[in-house]
Amino acid sequence: MIVRVRDVVSKYVLRKAFCDFIYFFPVPKVRTTATAAASNLLEVFVDGVPVMVEPGTTVLQACEKVGIQIPRFCYHERLSVAGNCRMCLVEIEKVPKPVAACAMPVMKGWNILTNSPKTRTAREGVMEFLLANHPLDCPICDQGGECDLQDQSMQFGSDRSRFTEGKRAVEDKNIGPLIKTIMTRCIQCTRCVRFASEIAGVEDLGTTGRGNDLQIGTYVEKMFMSELSGNVIDICPVGALTSKPYAFTSRPWETRKTETIDVLDAVGSNIIVSTRGGEVMRILPRLNEDINEEWISDKTRFAYDGLKRQRLTEPMVKNQAGQLVPATWEDALTRVAGAMQGVEGREMAAVVGGLVDAEALLSLKDLLNRFNSENLCTEEVFPMAGAGSDLRSNYLLNTKIAGIEEADLLLLVGTNPRYEAPLFNARIRKSWLHNELQVSLLGEKVDLSYTYDHLGDSAEILQEIASGAHPFAQVLATAKHPVVVVGSGCLQREDGAAIMAAASTIAQNARVSSQVEESWKVLNVLHRVASQVAALDLGYKTGVEAIRKNPPKLLFLLGADAGCITRQDLPKDSFIIYQGHHGDVGAPMADVILPGAAYTEKCSTYVNTEGRAQQTKVAVTAPGMAREDWKIIRAISELAGVPLPYDTIDEVRDRLAEVSPNLVRYDDVEEANYFKQANELSKGVNQAVLTSPLVPSQLTVKDFYMTDPISRASQTMAKCVKAVTEGAQAVDEPAIC
Amino acid sequence: MAEYANLVRRAVGQLRGHGGVRGFFLQLFRVNDVKTGTLVGVDKYGNKYYEDERSFFGRHRWVIYTTEMNGKKTLWEVDGSMVPAEWHRWLHSITDDPPTTHPPEPKKFLAEVHQINVSGSTQQYVPYSTTRKKIHEWVPPSAGAQ
Repeated sequence: MIVRVRDVVSKYVLRKAFCDFIYFFPVPKVRTTATAAASNLLEVFVDGVPVMVEPGTTVLQACEKVGIQIPRFCYHERLSVAGNCRMCLVEIEKVPKPVAACAMPVMKGWNILTNSPKTRTAREGVMEFLLANHPLDCPICDQGGECDLQDQSMQFGSDRSRFTEGKRAVEDKNIGPLIKTIMTRCIQCTRCVRFASEIAGVEDLGTTGRGNDLQIGTYVEKMFMSELSGNVIDICPVGALTSKPYAFTSRPWETRKTETIDVLDAVGSNIIVSTRGGEVMRILPRLNEDINEEWISDKTRFAYDGLKRQRLTEPMVKNQAGQLVPATWEDALTRVAGAMQGVEGREMAAVVGGLVDAEALLSLKDLLNRFNSENLCTEEVFPMAGAGSDLRSNYLLNTKIAGIEEADLLLLVGTNPRYEAPLFNARIRKSWLHNELQVSLLGEKVDLSYTYDHLGDSAEILQEIASGAHPFAQVLATAKHPVVVVGSGCLQREDGAAIMAAASTIAQNARVSSQVEESWKVLNVLHRVASQVAALDLGYKTGVEAIRKNPPKLLFLLGADAGCITRQDLPKDSFIIYQGHHGDVGAPMADVILPGAAYTEKCSTYVNTEGRAQQTKVAVTAPGMAREDWKIIRAISELAGVPLPYDTIDEVRDRLAEVSPNLVRYDDVEEANYFKQANELSKGVNQAVLTSPLVPSQLTVKDFYMTDPISRASQTMAKCVKAVTEGAQAVDEPAIC
Repeated sequence: MAEYANLVRRAVGQLRGHGGVRGFFLQLFRVNDVKTGTLVGVDKYGNKYYEDERSFFGRHRWVIYTTEMNGKKTLWEVDGSMVPAEWHRWLHSITDDPPTTHPPEPKKFLAEVHQINVSGSTQQYVPYSTTRKKIHEWVPPSAGAQ
């Protein structure tokens, strides 16, 4: 290939000269958190408008305060300041050169000129340099329509090009089955690098080379292995990092956005579901400072293709030959109602799974109660000895997710929050990074993306801490804002009650010794499934032990796909009803299948591990004959002759409020504060702890991707597991563009 | 006077031509018309073909459909596609030679039994979808496999 030397030289010289000019100003390291007291505010002017700001505020933030947006690429509120894109250059009166607004702290009396000719020329110049090496492939670029570079070049760029040289090209990298890289489009803002090292806590991404040769990559060809990796797609201001499963499927202006919540873990991340023509196209995060900030986990973001596969779309009934065949709703419901009328209440039981909404939980409980049955169990175990689920504070993440930022000492018991609740882990990491939170872990040693003090993996150590014999008890006693988080995984064990009792004692001791205010909560339980808190609020029993001991003739599985109960546990002639949205573990063993709606298809209530009730919204209609779960149960009750007293969703919610008012106080966390009483009740627990180590079920990233019926049906998640185990090359697909 | 006599003659002719008062009303409700003409022929399904040279072109040939064809009750549910191919050409004035006098050349593409249009019925043709399925449903495992 012939390269004209003159072109290369001219471009290089031009860029070098520009860079020298730009980097004349040192880039100060400024954290964006303001610390100064309100008394010593500075007065600065933005285009002549006076504004009082705290010392240390950057020029960009001062402008934001008066409602003026400075264009930027590299600056991101939640990341450290890099100051390398230079798009935010503004002129300041009586300052000789334009300054980078994102990195420059304001000084008293400065007049920032955000729209002066000098500012505009500086922006236009920066934009010209950025576009010099940016391909003109907007029509085939997935970022088209939501691209910062596209928007800002329209607003601040020049209307013509002086560029005649060739463009730099960069080889694409394969960084896994989730993120597609088109590195020629990269403008080296380094947002992804900073996200990976600061938020995700993996040092996978970095820059190599300098100047025109600067490249973003993983140094060696490997996968970007983080449970939060999808967020780099959102923070990338151009189309360099885009979503692989979403590639070339739809444009942002074609899709309808529904603001809803995620139910694939117990955090309840706020999401936006983009749909087109009754099909979920992608899932994006929605800002909620109390829960997920602006991030979501990869499972939340990419498991949506599981909503389109393995779906139950029509009722099915087992025929004489034992084969499940499609049936009408009338047939299926009559069969269910007949079977329910045919058995006594004590021969009837129900098991609910992890993705069930509060409305369905309530109507199923009401239905079985009409038949004088109280055998309603959740698949997840929560020890009922001691306070059990009687005191709400006993089973919630009482400190709240955002509350972790105030804590100074955190004890994790038998949990791996990185994969059980990635956004909670991101909060812990944030606090560890900025607030010097000390983390201790009791349980199997795992990579949490931050350093922690490993106390061991035996539950006996927990009892030692509770009794004060362990040195950690002294550390805990000196903490100002201690937090104890018990993973629901370790409560599944037979000694769950003893672990819970020990944790309760530790928390109570820490609470007394730390002398914190009454409102500070120490004891927390981190749940793994979205339905658990609502089920406990509604008075479900936990664990299927009761059903094993007393096998019922009729078993109602409501989305129960963990495989806790099998046909072998039940009498031969028992009748199994499965209601849910995926043909997973529960459906094949059923006699009747009732197709329900998944979380994107119904307006329903979920309570996250903090005890925060949130609503999902209908983004698409349920496929085929599938219906909302509470409606199906309502229909069964009608045919079985015990009609439930609600016909609309509002009436169901009135009934929810009757049972537990917090379930309809949406987006609110109902305060629960009976730790002392719970601790006293837990003293009655006489259970020895087992010697086996506390091992959370999700140890490494490959356990994270497929945990529920939706993500198990997802091909993207299957690819992730394959890429993690066999390397990113194993799932390499031919590049389309 | 003569035209009144003509009117009466026509009325009598229409009553008689359709087989009395009952036939007259049946014809009126089925066809909305009671005109009479010469019977040119009857096909093997029972459709009767008439011609009336006095009517103007376009209304001078018509068919009175049979009451049952190919097992379908066609007393009230008549359809233009009940006319078989050999009568279609005469009825639509493509030719003046009815198949009674000029029987059609046998061709192998001519149907032995004429089929009525099946649109709107359960036998209608539905083209298969060429787009990919939006939702893939779960297929239960077969009972023998377990």
